[in-house]
Amino acid sequence: MTLPHTFDADDSPERPKVLLVDDDEVTLMLTAEALRERGFTITEANSGERALAMLADWMPDIVVLDAMMPGLDGFDTCHELREAPGFEDLPVLMLTGLDDEASINRAYQVGATDFFVKSNQWSLLAGRLRHVLRSARTRQELERSKSKLARAQDLARMGSFDWRNTASPGRAGGDLTLAPEALRVFGFGPQDRVSLRRLVRMVPMPERRGLTRVLSDVEAQSTVLAIDVPVTLPDGRTRIVHVEAEPEFNEHGHAIGYTGIVQDVTDRRVAEDRIRHLANFDALTGLPNRRQLIWRTERALDHARRLGHQAALLLIDLDRFKVINDTLGHAAGDELLVEVARRLRGCVRHSDQVMDGALESAGVRSHRTLEAVGRLGGDEFIALLPEVLDEEDAERVSRRILEAMREPIFVGGQECFVTASVGIAMYPRDGSSVADLMRNSDVAMYSVKNAGRNASAIYSPMLAGRGREKLELESALHKAIERNELVLHYQPKIDVRSARMVGAEALMRWQRGTSLVPPGDFIPLAEETGLIVPLSEWALREAARQAKVWAVNFGFADSIAVNLPNRMFERSDLVEHIHQCVSTYGVPHRAIQLEITETGLMKDLQNVIPSLHRLTEIGVEISIDDFGTGYSSLAYLTTLPISELKIDRSFVRDLGITPQSSAVVTAIIALARSLGLRVIAEGVENLRQMEVLHRLGCGVMQGFLFSRPIPPVELERWLEQTVLPRKAPWIVQAGAERLEPPRTTGGRRP
Amino acid sequence: MTDLKPTLSPAITAATAPAGAPLVTVLDAKALAGLTQLDPTGANRLMQRVLTTYRGSLERLLSQMTHARQQSDMAALRLVTHTLKSSSASVGALALSVLCGDAEKSIREGQLDQLPSMLDHLAAEAARVDAAVLQLLSDK
Repeated sequence: MTLPHTFDADDSPERPKVLLVDDDEVTLMLTAEALRERGFTITEANSGERALAMLADWMPDIVVLDAMMPGLDGFDTCHELREAPGFEDLPVLMLTGLDDEASINRAYQVGATDFFVKSNQWSLLAGRLRHVLRSARTRQELERSKSKLARAQDLARMGSFDWRNTASPGRAGGDLTLAPEALRVFGFGPQDRVSLRRLVRMVPMPERRGLTRVLSDVEAQSTVLAIDVPVTLPDGRTRIVHVEAEPEFNEHGHAIGYTGIVQDVTDRRVAEDRIRHLANFDALTGLPNRRQLIWRTERALDHARRLGHQAALLLIDLDRFKVINDTLGHAAGDELLVEVARRLRGCVRHSDQVMDGALESAGVRSHRTLEAVGRLGGDEFIALLPEVLDEEDAERVSRRILEAMREPIFVGGQECFVTASVGIAMYPRDGSSVADLMRNSDVAMYSVKNAGRNASAIYSPMLAGRGREKLELESALHKAIERNELVLHYQPKIDVRSARMVGAEALMRWQRGTSLVPPGDFIPLAEETGLIVPLSEWALREAARQAKVWAVNFGFADSIAVNLPNRMFERSDLVEHIHQCVSTYGVPHRAIQLEITETGLMKDLQNVIPSLHRLTEIGVEISIDDFGTGYSSLAYLTTLPISELKIDRSFVRDLGITPQSSAVVTAIIALARSLGLRVIAEGVENLRQMEVLHRLGCGVMQGFLFSRPIPPVELERWLEQTVLPRKAPWIVQAGAERLEPPRTTGGRRP
Repeated sequence: MTDLKPTLSPAITAATAPAGAPLVTVLDAKALAGLTQLDPTGANRLMQRVLTTYRGSLERLLSQMTHARQQSDMAALRLVTHTLKSSSASVGALALSVLCGDAEKSIREGQLDQLPSMLDHLAAEAARVDAAVLQLLSDK
């Protein structure tokens, strides 16, 4: 549609330009004069041909045409004028005779704007001209605003439509009229005829059913329609079209149809979706974020409450992620999180999109679309199970999760092994709100961490109370390592026959402020919280360092025994860690000896044995602590790569008091001898015990009789001041019996 | 042609009569007053131009009519009568305008019996009008 004028024409010219066409010169002259008199600018033409020639390069505001003229008469002239481009809307007033009805009809047929019966009453003619000009101007304005609207609608990818419910047997779907702009929204040309049925068929199937239902509901109740529908255009593109319409009623108040607009809102929707996505999804992994998870969980709990079923929240925390981040860098850490996220998604029926509005109507199963894995932040993830039958359901998912972590993840140029700790909270048993469930799954998750990680646990109220205590201890112990509050004390191992120190056992102490915390007060808790792992690692490093110091100071070439919990033996990196420790300080592998309790060893024999083999291969000897207190399988004992049995202090204590104890000790010594193992007695406190042990064939001992566990500097002093000068009572006794000359330092083994 | 004379003489009488009532019978005073109002001061000499133009037009149309009658060209006759009808009305030659209108109507409706006498009558009246116009022009 063309804009009739540029903006400079305000359409109310002072003197409207009139082209006056009449073959009668007298009339022409008089009419022209009369109209000039009345404020018009007149241009005269005495024939139709002349008029058309003038209009070729000039545009008046109105043309006044005499109908009857020789040559090209008024009708022909008007007809030709209307054919010419740009003259479709030029007002044309046809002058006819009073009694000439045929001429009047013909005037309209050829496109005249109006007619006027010729007369000498000029003021009437002038009035008519003004009227025609005014209505033409109004029409032009209307056209202009219509075309502005059309352009605006076009820019907004919007168009209007009209629908009449002309329900007749042959015409289901009523009468639909789409404006050209509306047709364009649906990908049609302005000439296309499109039925409502055709449009509905452009909506893909799952949504189409919903749309038809909405349409019939809206029509049945004559309510306002406002809906976004996806459509597949004839060219295959998919767009989202917003439809908004109001019902129309006739004078009797009956609904006769709808009038409204359609608008392509795809871009807006895409932008909105993007914003919504940014607000609800984690940028790194693409998983739902905390906010989205809370929203989903609230919905899921609503649903569970209404339908009376259970739901579960699984808090998943990666083990030792910080180490990976610190050693491989954040980029690798991010890569790892992305891969973990991918695997976690596979463990549940993850839905990125929640079937939102349809949640209520699409059936009872719709809440299943809430099910998802999301990222809370850092290395914490959550799996939401909107409906579970029982906790076994939830545990099944958590097992799937732990299993999914088992495969190594290749990041930063190397393979990483990641495990996770999963805490499970059940709705409604473990909490009725999102906050409660989050907190309790956290408690459960921490209990897994405490128990050694890489497992899952279901919340129980018991965990909550203990959890807090452990948390405090854990944080204090964490700081203890950072602040170097931990120290190792050493208790010498003595070969009484030679009165020599043949090694030392390292025992951990916690220098907390001014007090020294004994191991019994924190080792069990460290084991529970899992902190025993970093503690043990520290102890190994420290023992290696001490071995080096002593080697330099007095030629120490024996082993320092470090107690390790059986959990440490399960770690694939133990051998590597020990290797690193001894390499760092330049001492041989055998400078470190490992002690594992009999109970610990037997508890998890299958997982510990491989480590023992590898350790033995590199020269690290294994000693079985507290031997005799557990239930060792003798069959296994014969095959284990161990070097030493340590007789438990309880037998030593009773030596010389109960005959049973000496029988046990005798048996242990015999067993060790037959297996080719060394044997050592601990807890030796007096000379009687020493004597008995010695008699029974055990020559290596440790205990208060010789020395308490003491700081390394004191141990050196002890060697210097007690062992060297042979001043202790046990040395006299042993020396008297064996008559063996003592060596000068805690030296080499025979 | 016989009835031409009686109608002709009053026109001449009127035209030659002193300015006043007789002229009105040929040229309508009201219409002439209307013309005068278009150019009240006479600065544009509108009256002279209109009347001169009318005389020229009248002469041309009358000769066209004579020609058309000889050729029995009804369409041309109709145009001539139509044009003469309105221009005559414009200068106040109302009787002539009516005669033209009647002739035009007869041609349009194909009732040609009375047409020759109507046209004779018309020509006679035209001669009276022309004389009156000439008189008017010379007065100015």
